[in-house]
Amino acid sequence: MPGLPPLTHEEAQREFAETLSGFTAGDKPEYADYSRCIHCGLCLNACPTYRLWHNEADSPRGRIRQMALVDQGRLELNEAFVTHIDRCLDCRACETACPSGVEYGKLVELARAQIAKNFKRPRTSRWIRNFVYRRLLTDPRHIARIARAMRFYQRSGLEAIVRGTRILRLIGMSKRAELMPRIDREFFFSRLGKTFPAQGERRARVAFFAGCLAQVTFTQLNDATIRVLQANGCEVVVPADQFCCGALAAHAGERDVARELARKNMKAFSAEAFDAIVTNAAGCGSTLKEYAQLFATGREENESTDDAERAAEFSRGVRDVTEFLSDLGLSARMREMKLRVTYQDSCHLLHGQKIREAPRKLIRAIPGVELVEMPLAEQCCGSAGVYNVTETATSMELLKEKMRNAKSTGAPIIVTANPGCMLQLRAGAKLHATGQDVLHVVELLDRALTNA
Amino acid sequence: MSSAARIAASRAGEIVGPANVIDGADELAGYEVDGLGPGAAVRPGTAEEVSELVKYAAAEKLAVIPVGARTKLDMGMPPARYDLAIDMTRMDRVISYDPGDLTLSVEPGIPLTKLAATLAEHKQFLPLAVPFFEHATVGGTLASGVDSPLRHAYGTAREFVLGLEFVSGDGALTKSGGRVVKNVSGYDLHKLMLGGIGSLGVVTRVNFKTFPRPTPARGFFAAFETMEKALELRQRIMSSKLSPLTLDLGSPGTAELFSSATAAKIVPEAVTADLPARGKWTISAGFWGSTDVSARYERDLRQMAADCGAARVDVIGEDEIPGQLGRKREFVAIVSALSPGAVVMKLSVRASQLRGAQTEARNIVAGAPIDYATLTNGAGVIYFAMLPRRAGDAAQACRQAAGQIMKAITALGGYATIVRCPLELKREISVWGVPREDFPLMQRVKRAFDPCNIFAPGRFVGGF
Amino acid sequence: MDHHLLHELEHLLGHDGVLSRPEDLLLYEYDGSVEIARPQCVVFPAKTADVVRIVELSNRYKTPIVGRGAGTGLSGGALAREGGIVVSFARMNRILEIDIENHRAVVQPGVVNADLSLAVAHAGLHFAPDPSSQRACTIGGNVSENAGGPHTLAYGVTTNHVLGLEMVMPTGELVRIGGKAADAPGYDLCGLFVGSEGTLALVTEVTVRLTRLPEAVKTLLAVYDRVDDATETVVEITARGITPAACEMLDGWTLRAVEAWVHAGFPLDSAAVLLIEVDGLREAAEEHAAQIAEVCRLHGAREVRVACDEKERDLLWKGRKNAFGAVGRLSPTYYVQDGVIPRTKLPETLREIDRIGKENGFEIGNIFHAGDGNLHPIILFDARDSKQFQRAVSTAEEIIRFCIKMGGAITGEHGVGMEKDRLMPFLFSEADIALMKRVRDEFNPAGLLNPGKIFPTGKGCGEVRVRSQRNGAETDSTHEESSPA
Repeated sequence: MPGLPPLTHEEAQREFAETLSGFTAGDKPEYADYSRCIHCGLCLNACPTYRLWHNEADSPRGRIRQMALVDQGRLELNEAFVTHIDRCLDCRACETACPSGVEYGKLVELARAQIAKNFKRPRTSRWIRNFVYRRLLTDPRHIARIARAMRFYQRSGLEAIVRGTRILRLIGMSKRAELMPRIDREFFFSRLGKTFPAQGERRARVAFFAGCLAQVTFTQLNDATIRVLQANGCEVVVPADQFCCGALAAHAGERDVARELARKNMKAFSAEAFDAIVTNAAGCGSTLKEYAQLFATGREENESTDDAERAAEFSRGVRDVTEFLSDLGLSARMREMKLRVTYQDSCHLLHGQKIREAPRKLIRAIPGVELVEMPLAEQCCGSAGVYNVTETATSMELLKEKMRNAKSTGAPIIVTANPGCMLQLRAGAKLHATGQDVLHVVELLDRALTNA
Repeated sequence: MSSAARIAASRAGEIVGPANVIDGADELAGYEVDGLGPGAAVRPGTAEEVSELVKYAAAEKLAVIPVGARTKLDMGMPPARYDLAIDMTRMDRVISYDPGDLTLSVEPGIPLTKLAATLAEHKQFLPLAVPFFEHATVGGTLASGVDSPLRHAYGTAREFVLGLEFVSGDGALTKSGGRVVKNVSGYDLHKLMLGGIGSLGVVTRVNFKTFPRPTPARGFFAAFETMEKALELRQRIMSSKLSPLTLDLGSPGTAELFSSATAAKIVPEAVTADLPARGKWTISAGFWGSTDVSARYERDLRQMAADCGAARVDVIGEDEIPGQLGRKREFVAIVSALSPGAVVMKLSVRASQLRGAQTEARNIVAGAPIDYATLTNGAGVIYFAMLPRRAGDAAQACRQAAGQIMKAITALGGYATIVRCPLELKREISVWGVPREDFPLMQRVKRAFDPCNIFAPGRFVGGF
Repeated sequence: MDHHLLHELEHLLGHDGVLSRPEDLLLYEYDGSVEIARPQCVVFPAKTADVVRIVELSNRYKTPIVGRGAGTGLSGGALAREGGIVVSFARMNRILEIDIENHRAVVQPGVVNADLSLAVAHAGLHFAPDPSSQRACTIGGNVSENAGGPHTLAYGVTTNHVLGLEMVMPTGELVRIGGKAADAPGYDLCGLFVGSEGTLALVTEVTVRLTRLPEAVKTLLAVYDRVDDATETVVEITARGITPAACEMLDGWTLRAVEAWVHAGFPLDSAAVLLIEVDGLREAAEEHAAQIAEVCRLHGAREVRVACDEKERDLLWKGRKNAFGAVGRLSPTYYVQDGVIPRTKLPETLREIDRIGKENGFEIGNIFHAGDGNLHPIILFDARDSKQFQRAVSTAEEIIRFCIKMGGAITGEHGVGMEKDRLMPFLFSEADIALMKRVRDEFNPAGLLNPGKIFPTGKGCGEVRVRSQRNGAETDSTHEESSPA
């Protein structure tokens, strides 16, 4: 409970023993993890929400403190707690800033797992979450079905009519509508189970992780990724039985769902040996690389550790496409493109996977391309998975700042490394009329190839 | 001698020993401040004696002025009262010196020359190139707050005084800061004492950070037809990657002063480079380093000077540095020696206002029977000297000009004070310039340090 | 807290500008130090006029008031030791003016240190004080604590870079001291207020000097098999009159902890490394680097590396700048001390720290600004063992007392705050402290501004309150001091 007087050492120890914790057993922020935070505050200025509001409660240090307080029974797991944890983008910029190596992403996901378990959200919210995380994302058939319906809405002229009525603005949905992805004419599902040969001498054999929503909205990107890999001497296999990586579920605290998806993917990719499992989505990559974490907590006492070990093995093979290509070295011939571009770090690439140089190196490798760094490229654009839908106002504020910085470079193209970021930045370019094009790193590489 | 003074002298004698009490009228004349003499002067030998003297003074409400070599007693306003001079010159020892740590602790009465000699043994020095250098003591130098051409590279005393021990107005022996080069323990009270002309306490010990002597040093010298061109070179150097030791701008009048016989008397070391620059604006800079570093300075400075249209450029060797630096250091002393009626003002403005400030000041004296000379140091502090061509109306014109310049500089967002002037001028205007909104805060400082108001009453900013 | 006061604060600042719910206040009871103290409310002024009103209200309701920047301080300076209002300046974070020609900037106190340097980098300038927390800490906080950092060896600490302040006095007046030009007439008030740890005024605007970035930087890493060789190198570099821009030392224990996490390339079997940086003109930096390398070898460095490019330089510095965090990975609770000694006493003092540690059963790591004799011994302990914790505190105190004996001081850059108030009497006499108090009382007569800081709070034979916390599990303990405070 808040407002209690300070405890003595002895009382504190007893308190631990008596578990006054506001968390329940299973997936929860662990003492060993949160106590690593030495509350030095170095994360504050790296945190997008702290930079907006300057409130400790919406800073990484403050959120960790809140988890500790709940765990120690000094704070209730109540609406205030949920609000501050919800507002976190999980961009993990604080991890980059942290000198103590606090695994904040892990902590916040575990806190969300506790919220999912122990906090009763309003009925609509519960229904939507249940549908999205437990039904939609877990089954490609649902994704395809919904996508077809949306494609109809977008292309039949219905969307134009709805927009024309300005009803969206009336119900405060106009900005969210901008964020809605354009559904592809052709879905990527058809490529599942196929193998794409290497061009020239085979330098590597990789498995491609295609993502879930990306298969209906980023088919072009996925195709481009395969082309670029092929052109650089990679045989690309797209395993058939792959599922959503589980990132969105894990970020939302639905760890059992995430675990289930992880098991399926581990199985799908374990049939053959690959030099790497490659993804073009930094958000997915970050989760795929941390599958072991999913199985490290929430395990029953007598449950085996096999999953955790298999996950660790799986994760060792995962590479972001920029990381993989940068390590492999580009061998494809590229034409010169006189282009000025700027690069927006995708949070889960930079902060989640600590990859900063690889995408920049690839961009600079294209003849004629000039990379102009934008100020605060390492700050989140506000996309953050489903954050732009759940916390739209905050997301839009961050996007506004992002577009100001992007525009200041004078570059007509913003390059990034994650589909979610691309959607957000495209919406930003439109909303703030910057006239900028948004591309994935591999799409830029692909342009240099295909026009050769 | 009044009976009160006799009692004071006898009590002081009990504290410091009769041999260290000065009460003869002739000798006391040397302790006069703006025409007012003390009842007695005493020469304590220890901090404890100073403490006893101040306790006694506080009990009797005697007005005290601590003095060193008495070279700059005419700074500030005339004292409202003056009973006892505490002459610190007997306390002239080096208390400790750790050359390996570059730290030093001295008593305040030590002459700068003696201290320089001690430091020179270890190839070290203190960047206190202040006027009246041959006579001045450490204590007087710090209390007067005078700056030095070397501040461009080393800053003022606040940057290298690590701590002070002093006797505050209640007679308590007090200290602040310390002997180490980095320290945030407690309030930095000692910073308040620097430039406080003895209005807060009597310093009994000074802890310094010392510096390796920058040798071999060389000098650079460029002459210009106009102030604008000279200022352009100054600005270029300021925004270049060079870090000269000194960077000063002199007016044609200053070149004249520096080549005078008076200057040669005060600074016997020879100079040659200044002489052909009569009638010109001059930029002079000192720099040091190995052959390569010096060559780089010389090359860059020559290039920049040429770009700015210098009429003449000279580079001088180590042997001429003392003459060049000495003259800049003694600017105020040379002016005072040349003309007893001279008024020297200190005008402090932003770099971008240097031109405006000098132009305003020149315009104000234009047409008056006043010669002027200016020397602007690297910190953007202009020493503006007005030398009346004759007594009477010229002196009156100086007084008027001083007031106008103060207003003009204040309007530019700068500070204007009077460093040296005839006593009559102080009757008309405050040498501390236009009153500022922070003066009341200073009054609170004064109250905390000197609750009985015994230290140099009336001499400092705001009349306390 | 008086609900009328709360109401007035909310009226002034809006609901968004006031925090008063217990769950919010729990997040303002800590800063970067090991201290704990909870306020009764937190307010976020948006402008100077708000601060004036807040101070007026604090006076009217006789409620203590404490300024706070980013809360990265290491001595509890921003904590409400006696409760009351915490004034967070985090939202007053605008850079008001950048004056390139005059090398000046005017900023609000909530501007983050590194953000100012970033904003002027295009002109080849920076704000020189660079505390390890510079990416998060605010300039207002730097001013209050007179912050230092590795490069202050050559560039000076915050007080050397502040030219003017706008402040709200505890009595409610708004005053300006100093300004853009040098040498404001009268007492050096900036010299007094900078580093007064928020006990004399609330700063609402700061005029700072900007410093040119050097043309060239050379970073060296010297590796030693004996700690004494490293410390003697520092003494010799100082004595030779070379002033490096920075001169940092990590002892063997610390460098191993750092290497395990940062992989900066510190050899694991070495006893100490020195990280030395020189800068300035290209020619000068090269010469000084060569001279320093020679001194290092002369004093038994088994290897001297020179960073060849920006990347190598960053890596070496990363090892230094992340050192405390790396230690945090070994043990979440540790006590970083901050003491200063004359540089010639470095070898002797490090030996004594080692001895004190062994005697008390602690392994003590040392990572510090060797170039200016500013030590940061790190004592690891287990906070759940209250006896061990008390022993850690008394061990730290023993080290600081030794620093004083060596002619040093109780804090070089972290401040006294509520951490070291009880150590003040070991360094300062009653008269020294009495005068400092008189100065405080002149400006802060009601004692409402940041009470309980700097000055010893104990009465007579002191009861020492030490608090440690592991992320909220607070613990109080008391122990008797061996000598009267």
